[in-house]
Amino acid sequence: MNSPRMPHDDRLPAGGRRPAAVPRSWCSDWCAGWNDFWFTPADPLPLDLIRIATGLLLTWSCVVWLLDADAFFGDRGWLRPDQVWRMNDQPWQWSWYFAAHSPTMIRVLGGIALVAAVLLTIGLATPLAAIVSLLGLVSAANRAPLNVFGLDDTLGMLLIPLVIGPAGSRLSVDRLISGAEQGRAGGRSVRANVALRLLQVHLCVVYFFSGTGKLFGASWWEGTALWGAIANDRYRTLDLRGLAGHPLVVNALTLATLWWEVSYPALVWPRLTRRLCLAMAVAVHLGIGLAMGMMEFGLAMLAANLAFVPADTFRTLLRFLPRRWSVSDTLPGTSPDLS
Amino acid sequence: MQIHESNEPGWSAPARWSALARGVATLAILVYLAAVVVPPLAGPPPASELANRLLQPLRPLVGAIYLGHGYRFFAPNPGPGHSLRWTMTMADGSTRGGSIPDEDADRPRLLYHRRFMVSEKIATLVPFADAPADIRDRAKRDWQPLVKGVATNLLRREGGTSVTLEVVEHYLPDPGEVLASTTTTDTVTPLGSYAWASEEGR
Repeated sequence: MNSPRMPHDDRLPAGGRRPAAVPRSWCSDWCAGWNDFWFTPADPLPLDLIRIATGLLLTWSCVVWLLDADAFFGDRGWLRPDQVWRMNDQPWQWSWYFAAHSPTMIRVLGGIALVAAVLLTIGLATPLAAIVSLLGLVSAANRAPLNVFGLDDTLGMLLIPLVIGPAGSRLSVDRLISGAEQGRAGGRSVRANVALRLLQVHLCVVYFFSGTGKLFGASWWEGTALWGAIANDRYRTLDLRGLAGHPLVVNALTLATLWWEVSYPALVWPRLTRRLCLAMAVAVHLGIGLAMGMMEFGLAMLAANLAFVPADTFRTLLRFLPRRWSVSDTLPGTSPDLS
Repeated sequence: MQIHESNEPGWSAPARWSALARGVATLAILVYLAAVVVPPLAGPPPASELANRLLQPLRPLVGAIYLGHGYRFFAPNPGPGHSLRWTMTMADGSTRGGSIPDEDADRPRLLYHRRFMVSEKIATLVPFADAPADIRDRAKRDWQPLVKGVATNLLRREGGTSVTLEVVEHYLPDPGEVLASTTTTDTVTPLGSYAWASEEGR
């Protein structure tokens, strides 16, 4: 294989001699680093897997909204339309449900969001499905601010990169229809890189504020915060109160959670510590899902963490798929700076 | 960063963006990142005046794509859970009661959580019954319109004539109390009684 020269590539050229060094300013280094980070073409495979995971969770969320649609979005629901401003930033937090005043209209709009989520999952008309899915999520969350929680925040974080990037280029019906042999559709692209980078940075912001917010709390420093979650019977789906007799275990779990979250924005980037960070993410988010009954939230956060998994890893895991799914007809080592 | 070329026939190098495209994209990325970072800096309290001023021009974007989050999950400390207890009078004079959320009836679990958030969010606005009167009066202006919505929804769903609501803060036992199997008491704060307004009908 040949290797094209990249900015800041420290490898020697084929002849073994470096060209005369060109002095570069600090600003030039910044620009080159910025360009490398955001605008190097990347393999879209991680984005496609994130699309499938997000689509499944969003589909489920849409179904649950529809189970009690009148209560969530109706004029005589949990929150009257003229009171929504008390819970969010009107008029900016728009919603298509503000225009719906009949049960039929509410169900039609909820149905549109559901269909878009299904299409996003299977990757059919993916760009349009991603946009409508985002509109549906924003509409639901902005109309029913009394009923939203971390799951909705996370789905929003996931959907925006799916709108920006080529999320239907692999593992999708779109790909099957267009055919794997159609040019470079599904190959590396700058849009894929921008989308994955946005998700990576956003996820680091989430963990940073979640972690530093905990530093205000005495129970996190004392190592007892997890007991607060264990003893809260409103959340409990797995009874771990047996840990009452093992305070050091509770201390260790609390402190591990705190320091993982605080350090995630720094430690997830170096290859040496990334696997540790991601393994801890699996443990924490599945733990929250199983013990506190918030499995959808846990899985959504794990879907976001997929942005840090190299495409090569996915390709290895998915090597059993037939070639028409176009997992293996791409180039190795092309995740954004995650080789 | 290592990029490997392919020797596969028909493959060509991916297109890179022009300087102009990168410049435009850079501006868009910076605005987006500001919309991601500034809202959690600006709230929940404590937050700086600077962060709040920076947020003002970003509000249309932050609101439009649902980015206005604080991301303070279980921070600063995991607190007790809350529920709304209701007692309803029906048209025939009988009464029935329930709780929001209802662990037995609210299935699937995601539906339970969406209803649980109602009680959690209203509870943050309601001071304890023994708080000073002026604090309770001021807080009531914030929580009562929301509680009216909850009452309306319950009356619509159950077909009753009036409903009485109270917020229950479920006591969070410490490990010693769990080991000793100590019985604990929840804190109950009344939220008032509500009936259909005459102009609303049923």
